[in-house]
Amino acid sequence: MEAIQKTHTTTSFEKSLSAVKIGQRVVVSAIKSCPTDLLRKLVSMGLVEGTEVKVTQRGFFGSPINIHLLGSVLSLRSAEAAHIQVQPL
Amino acid sequence: MSPTESTRSDSNHRVSTPRSVALVGNPNCGKTTLFNSLTGSNYKVANYPGVTVEKKTGVVSLPNDIRIQLIDLPGTYALLGSTIDEQIVTQFLNGEIKGAEKPDLVVAVIDATNLERNLYLISELIDSGFPIVVALNMMDAAEDKGIKVYSELLSRALDLPVIPIVARSKRGLEDLKSAIAQEILHPTTSKRSFAWLPHEHALAPKIKETFSLHPAEHPEPELITTAGALRYAWIRSVVARCTKISERVPSQASRRDAVLTSKVWGLPIFGVIFACIFQAIFTWAQVPMDLISSAVDALSAWVAATLPAGLFTSLLAEGIVPGVGNVIVFVPQIAILFFCLGVLEDSGYLARAAFLLDNFMRKVGLQGRAFVPLLSSFACAVPGILSTRTIPSRFDRLTTIMIAPLMGCSARLPVYAVLIGAAVPSLFIGGFISLQGLVLLGMYALGIAGACCVAWIVQKLFKRKDSCFFVLEMPPLRKPVLRVVLRNVYDAVLSFLKNASTVILACSVVVWFLATFPKPEPGYQGNPVEVSYAGKMGKAIEPVIKPLGFNWEIGFGIISSFPAREVFVSSLSTVLNVSDTDLEDHKSLIQRLQEKRADGSFSTYTAISLMVFYVFACQCMSTLAVCRRETGSWRWVFVMFGYMTALAYVASFATYQIGTRLF
Repeated sequence: MEAIQKTHTTTSFEKSLSAVKIGQRVVVSAIKSCPTDLLRKLVSMGLVEGTEVKVTQRGFFGSPINIHLLGSVLSLRSAEAAHIQVQPL
Repeated sequence: MSPTESTRSDSNHRVSTPRSVALVGNPNCGKTTLFNSLTGSNYKVANYPGVTVEKKTGVVSLPNDIRIQLIDLPGTYALLGSTIDEQIVTQFLNGEIKGAEKPDLVVAVIDATNLERNLYLISELIDSGFPIVVALNMMDAAEDKGIKVYSELLSRALDLPVIPIVARSKRGLEDLKSAIAQEILHPTTSKRSFAWLPHEHALAPKIKETFSLHPAEHPEPELITTAGALRYAWIRSVVARCTKISERVPSQASRRDAVLTSKVWGLPIFGVIFACIFQAIFTWAQVPMDLISSAVDALSAWVAATLPAGLFTSLLAEGIVPGVGNVIVFVPQIAILFFCLGVLEDSGYLARAAFLLDNFMRKVGLQGRAFVPLLSSFACAVPGILSTRTIPSRFDRLTTIMIAPLMGCSARLPVYAVLIGAAVPSLFIGGFISLQGLVLLGMYALGIAGACCVAWIVQKLFKRKDSCFFVLEMPPLRKPVLRVVLRNVYDAVLSFLKNASTVILACSVVVWFLATFPKPEPGYQGNPVEVSYAGKMGKAIEPVIKPLGFNWEIGFGIISSFPAREVFVSSLSTVLNVSDTDLEDHKSLIQRLQEKRADGSFSTYTAISLMVFYVFACQCMSTLAVCRRETGSWRWVFVMFGYMTALAYVASFATYQIGTRLF
């Protein structure tokens, strides 16, 4: 809980998941301005505040991106990843 | 606690109809493998009337003479899902689907290597108050990854029976069966309903109301994210208590994965794999196809020679045997195609292909996930259209359904094969690339190009109303299980044969009748088919199709092949067989067409124009029927048939006119 509260005070380091480099490990801090369907999907897949994520692969022109979280690999477009705010670990 | 204690009091369960047990779980958790292991060959696939649920059920015998009906539901990540498949699961579990009873028990399969995400669904199931047995699958894979899961601790944390199993090697299945029997006799529900929601949380009452049995359609985003974070926080604490993670071994699979999806190697590997599959379909299948084809010819000749001449013999030798036989010939190709697709699917490669193609698909207005339905459509548009259910956006799904029939399905193969055989010389460019093969590849490419254009135009014309997204789990790469793959092949071949023995058989009888009656008047010297119903039908549309280079015989072939493309081959061969007054002489359809080419009544341009017509035309009743069922309206059926027929006419017209004028 402490870690999560910290993320609220240090928003200046936040960036979107779409801008994270391959191999970098980050923590989800928030999901912003996202359509309900997509939001439900992302949440059910484990993309919630506090989840650790590592970017493992990117396609041509930076999309789609593959991320490793909770023991599995998820593929999403950079447009969708842009909704996900992350903090460096 | 011993199960035998309760047998007497519950003896009524044994004689009554089997209890229904639903199998749920995330995609790729091994749910279908478990279903297959439990039911053996004792299962059937059907559809509930009026709804688009594929109902896969099987009967399983449990200890104490209890029999259950096991229902395999589509893979789902959440009860409040965003895809149609996921919504179906929820409706089914709540007993909201007509013709389906609410299940008595839920068997939830979870993947031990991926506990947290799998427990999300379990947590939702617990909240809904279902009696649940948890099958903790892939215990072996988890141990390989250095994860030790203590099932007794997990059972206590969830307040549910948790049975460790390995579905692939059938480990733990007896324990699972006893646990299911126990729960059937004494159903219990977990006391951990909403355990993840702290009472003191400011939003607790609102969240509880929103995420109860009948959830709100559009809850506020804040509630979704807060509830999700709380639920995952609880799951994390459960997992921390029940597992021990030793040092992770760097996995080889992830390195292989990096190569398969890399910018440098990804697309070349993809290209090589699919080139090999097409090669396999056309070369490996040749020997069995030749065998079946010569057997059909021999049978047809034998029938004509042995049975006394007459109408019935004519029906058999000219109608039914060649009609059905010319279609059964394609079983080997279908088996090979489904084998290859099954291997790619079960190994987890198809998800990588979707990753690689997403950029391109997005350019034409689709998403990477449309790749799998479109790929299946190369076998047949019907399973292709059914598999669009995994696409969450209705707009994307509809576009994919509309273009799926443009993929060169296996029913087109007979048409292409006959026309290419008759009109394209069997030359080898550079000694090894077959010209015939090249023309065939061209027809497939034309279909794909057409599909891309249509998708692109649709995207430009209509503004999307719903959100479109691409979030796809990459299942772990693994060695495909032969049993699973062969089962796919078996199902595909069986449904193809079923079609051949019903639709095609009926068509060939009708075609034979139309081509034989009315009999020409005595003394008539011309072609007997010309005065038959078939001849009259063909002649009626001849003016319309003349600019495409088609005569009345081809015209009748096109009309008769409306129910299924492959009927064209059998009806053309029936028409030519009946026209041939010399019954002794059994020539193949290709030979007859080659003769016609020699005397000028069937040109190369006609053949190519005809192939182009079949690339685009929607000559398939099953496709239209499944389109009606999946889109729920006749409107899209008319749109599909209309645009495809128009496209076919225009493309074929252009081909013939340009071809005959320029060359």
